[in-house]
Amino acid sequence: MLERHIQALCTDDPGDEAPAAARERLKGRFPPGATRRMTTLGLLVGNALAELEPGPEDAVVYATGYAESRALEGFLDSFPAPSPTLFQTSIHPSAVQQLMIGRQSPVREFLPLSGGALFAFHMLRAALLSPAPRVLLCGGEERGSWLLGHGLASARTFAFAAALTAQAGPRALGRVRLARAPGDGRLGIEAWFDILRGRAPFAGAVAPGWRMEVAWS
Amino acid sequence: MADSSSPVKVAECGCITPFGDAAATHAALLRGACALRPVAVLGREGGQAVPLALLPGRSLDETVPPDWLGALRGLRRAIPDGDWGSPGRPVFVTGSNFGVGGLYALRRTGDPAFAAWGAPATCTERLRADLGWGPDVSIVSHACVSAHLGLLLASRAASAGLAEEALVLSFDFLSPFVAGGFHALKILNASFPAPYRLGEAGAIGLGDGAAFAVISRGRGAWALEAQCVYNEMHQFTANRGDGSGFDRCLDGVAAAARGRRVWFKGHGTGTLDAGRLEVAAAARAFPGAPVVGWKGSLGHTLGSCGLVELAVAIESVRSGRTPGTVGGAGAPMGENVALESFGNAGFDGVVCASNAFGGAHAAFLLCHA
Repeated sequence: MLERHIQALCTDDPGDEAPAAARERLKGRFPPGATRRMTTLGLLVGNALAELEPGPEDAVVYATGYAESRALEGFLDSFPAPSPTLFQTSIHPSAVQQLMIGRQSPVREFLPLSGGALFAFHMLRAALLSPAPRVLLCGGEERGSWLLGHGLASARTFAFAAALTAQAGPRALGRVRLARAPGDGRLGIEAWFDILRGRAPFAGAVAPGWRMEVAWS
Repeated sequence: MADSSSPVKVAECGCITPFGDAAATHAALLRGACALRPVAVLGREGGQAVPLALLPGRSLDETVPPDWLGALRGLRRAIPDGDWGSPGRPVFVTGSNFGVGGLYALRRTGDPAFAAWGAPATCTERLRADLGWGPDVSIVSHACVSAHLGLLLASRAASAGLAEEALVLSFDFLSPFVAGGFHALKILNASFPAPYRLGEAGAIGLGDGAAFAVISRGRGAWALEAQCVYNEMHQFTANRGDGSGFDRCLDGVAAAARGRRVWFKGHGTGTLDAGRLEVAAAARAFPGAPVVGWKGSLGHTLGSCGLVELAVAIESVRSGRTPGTVGGAGAPMGENVALESFGNAGFDGVVCASNAFGGAHAAFLLCHA
């Protein structure tokens, strides 16, 4: 069985908030001028991750299925004169890099993942197998525009970041466990986010042969 | 810092490049052959001719289904059967592009058929079904260190007893999307790459590549030790100018290699600053170790490069001869740069290193088990 304790948690569920409104809401959380080129996902994930005060020996596991959809759309629209800035920004782990590069904050272990139906299991397995004393599990999605019409972007914008440690300590918010067990189930990133946002308990299969338990203090 | 768990083994490993499988690729590198050819950067839409190494018969332009699928089906035949993707036998698919070329074609043509392989998850799900794997298929995407991270996660699953064996598959196939992006950054241009060579301007080439490795705690002739990573988070594309990011990554590998004679398979894309920093860091961490880079021939196979070049490194050790730095003829960036091939029977292992955007670094030590 794999187990970690949730020591801190930040979630952001802005509903239909427009990208410009998200920028306005969160600009005070970043250095002056830094948000000008940040994506919506970079703003939301960066803000959630910053709440956990990432340090150089933390491991960062980053989960997003579609990553910077708006930057990707913009890069595709920029052909036949492709934008170098949007090319950089559209690369998969960009959201976390937007925060960490802005802060000049190195981190030893950075594990960016994508995923589908078993995404919760895959991100948690990666997080719970890390030897780092503290693992910051973060992620999210941003709502796409024309890619959404092709099923290639998220319909919902959201972000989360959770600090996970091996020891419970006196102020643990909760606990997450993964164990081999008979059964079959699926849990994607959006359902995982809703568990965190609502601090909802969970006990059930999240992949064939794998069971997850989330309990809150 | 490297993982403290006991080293895992590489039970099987193979790759495909424009030259063929690992043995054919190794033989071509020994000959000093170059797979890069001038190709219009936007395929049928033209643009500057840039050095690309495409699989034989493959066009830069996207098709439905992707024409690279045949290459992966061929690679699949080299992977031992094993109920992959079932509980206890996870798969880690890694890359930086997946089916992103389909998004470019979708936008340019409006044909919705190109959407089918466009996102990492949809691409991987279709691939999983095509290759007959079960559902436990993780997706790792961290630009050009993606393959290293897949090896790391597979090794941890095996070391923890969660997997009897784990399969890592890594692939990146070129498209106008990725060629256009690197061309926009101006590091992909008309010049051919000359890794680790002093010059006034650097340049890279890009290549198709795919590879796999079966990671096991029990069987295998090759030990994968001291898997180390480090992320500078200094700048989106460049490394810290003092080379400290390279040092922080290689420190753990150097500790594991102490007392052993190694050679160094570097990243060596052909950019000047990164090449200079890498050569100097290799000299500090592994004094006397010859440094080689193969992207002057194969091109940079992006997220798959760490695994493609691992397969070639294994073939080098197996055959007793390491190819030199193809395309690097001229004044090298350091005395440790090996331009010619050399016999490796007197070495105890090889350090395999890759780097990526964001100052991401990854390296490990490969030795006989």
